[in-house]
Amino acid sequence: MRLVIARCSVDYAGRLTAHLPSAPRLILVKADGSVSIHADDRAYKPLNWMSPPCALKEGTGEEEGVWTVVNKAGEKLIITMEEILHDSSHELGVDPGLIKDGVEAHLQELLADRIDTLGEGYTLIRREYMTAIGPVDILCRDAQGGTVAVEIKRRGEIDGVEQLTRYLELLNRDPHLAPVRGVFAAQEIKPQARVLATDRGIGCQVLDYDALRGIEDDKLRLF
Amino acid sequence: MKIRVERDVLAEAVAWAARSLPARPPAPVLAGLLLKAEEGQLSLSSFDYEVSARVSVEAEIEEEGTVLVSGRLLADISRALPNRPVEISTDGVRATVVCGSSRFTLHTLPVEEYPALPQMPEATGTVPGEVFASAVQQVAIAAGRDDTLPVLTGVRIEIEGDSVTLASTDRYRFAVREFLWKPENPDISAVALVPAKTLQDTAKALTSGDQVILALSGSGAGEGLIGFEGAGRRTTTRLLEGDLPKYKTLFPTEFNSVAVIETAPFVEAVKRVALVAERNTPVRLSFEQGVLILEAGSSDDAQAVERVDAQLEGDDISIAFNPTFLLDGLSAIDSPVAQLSFTTSTKPALLSGRPAVDAEADEAYKYLIMPVRLSG
Repeated sequence: MRLVIARCSVDYAGRLTAHLPSAPRLILVKADGSVSIHADDRAYKPLNWMSPPCALKEGTGEEEGVWTVVNKAGEKLIITMEEILHDSSHELGVDPGLIKDGVEAHLQELLADRIDTLGEGYTLIRREYMTAIGPVDILCRDAQGGTVAVEIKRRGEIDGVEQLTRYLELLNRDPHLAPVRGVFAAQEIKPQARVLATDRGIGCQVLDYDALRGIEDDKLRLF
Repeated sequence: MKIRVERDVLAEAVAWAARSLPARPPAPVLAGLLLKAEEGQLSLSSFDYEVSARVSVEAEIEEEGTVLVSGRLLADISRALPNRPVEISTDGVRATVVCGSSRFTLHTLPVEEYPALPQMPEATGTVPGEVFASAVQQVAIAAGRDDTLPVLTGVRIEIEGDSVTLASTDRYRFAVREFLWKPENPDISAVALVPAKTLQDTAKALTSGDQVILALSGSGAGEGLIGFEGAGRRTTTRLLEGDLPKYKTLFPTEFNSVAVIETAPFVEAVKRVALVAERNTPVRLSFEQGVLILEAGSSDDAQAVERVDAQLEGDDISIAFNPTFLLDGLSAIDSPVAQLSFTTSTKPALLSGRPAVDAEADEAYKYLIMPVRLSG
């Protein structure tokens, strides 16, 4: 990642032509070759940019201070530097990606901790119970000692039910566990998913994240 | 099958039976309404594995038989038919509905794939339809609507000999109603938790009959079933698992002050003042001797103040309530005079009705309401 802060003007020549008059700006040159020009506002969307694949050529000689970025379609982003105020490069490596499932993981942890949310007398066997096709979120026992597999989602949709169905089929082949009942637990369960789950004999449990976390609203309650 | 039935009779029966058709039937047959003609009666049934409904009406039966047709379609058709006798007949896989000059041909669904309706449990006792409907109406308003706590979406029916107690709560209010009935067995003692919405619909539908028969079988463990029967209509529903918290301990028995207000002007005033109460903000009530001041809104926004005559015995008190919860309770007491009993401004208040200002409070219905904490 190369960061350049410079007073520059920018011209774009391609399907649309655009011109940014001279002003101080931040120019990001990323490892994939993409170049973007930012002003000092907003958290997203550069003023102008060139998506990869593209190539950056820094002019020399007479062309000194003129950067040209060209993509495959021949479109050009021309940055004319007047004064470079900062120029540094940093190796960032591979990004681990955005973790969207933080809540899901947390729900799993919380539910395992308070397994009696599913019903009185439930006991945890283990979280992330490994099967040949992947881990089941929670495996537990109900009050009668029957095995229960729990799939946890933030939003309970059809594919979650399908996933749980696959696990159940596999788990039910294990004579030590069978019969295994399924519970589909989510903060919100879509009506279609509920119908499918019920039709397959899978129980539905709506989870209250705040209640599981022990965050109580400050409203007065009877109990 | 070949039958003739009055249009209004058919339309009403179909409309009622079709209400419990599943919105998303997991199997096509469940979207069907089962019509059965025998011994001068036409019976219509629907079932979605939770709730079953069956209604019988008088019909001229030329040929007995059973047929399963799309319930929604039959409901739409029978509602739209002209006011003439309706003839329903079957021919192979088709059913024909003829009324006046209109004629509908419907596809039938396979009767043999239709699940058997649950058996109506044996009668537990009877209660006048009006009493039952009003009691359910009074209690069900307090039931929760949040699926995260399924137990609270139910109405608890407790039977103890000749008295029945209905109770429900959403943690902010608690409604309890007692009434007398005629049990089959005078020593009976039973508890059931019935989904509030189903119970409300059922009670409303059965008001036309003199008597409603309640039939309870089993309880707990998901196998429980309750049946209601009246006016030729029969419905069963699966019970919810679990039980409400022990509410007797939640209801305070000693109070520091008791206010008595005429219900109608009180309701009007709360409604007016609540207009400026934004979502989730309360209506504030200040009781002094002889007067109740209602206020809502905040100084940064719109405000409203209104005075209502009120009798207060005991200490002056300022307390705030969610206006919707308060209005629900005031309409549920169904009395010309409301009695509010307080301990402190952060403890639940008890609402009950009085037939007149100087009469004793009616003990049959109680509505416990939690106040809202006043900031600053």
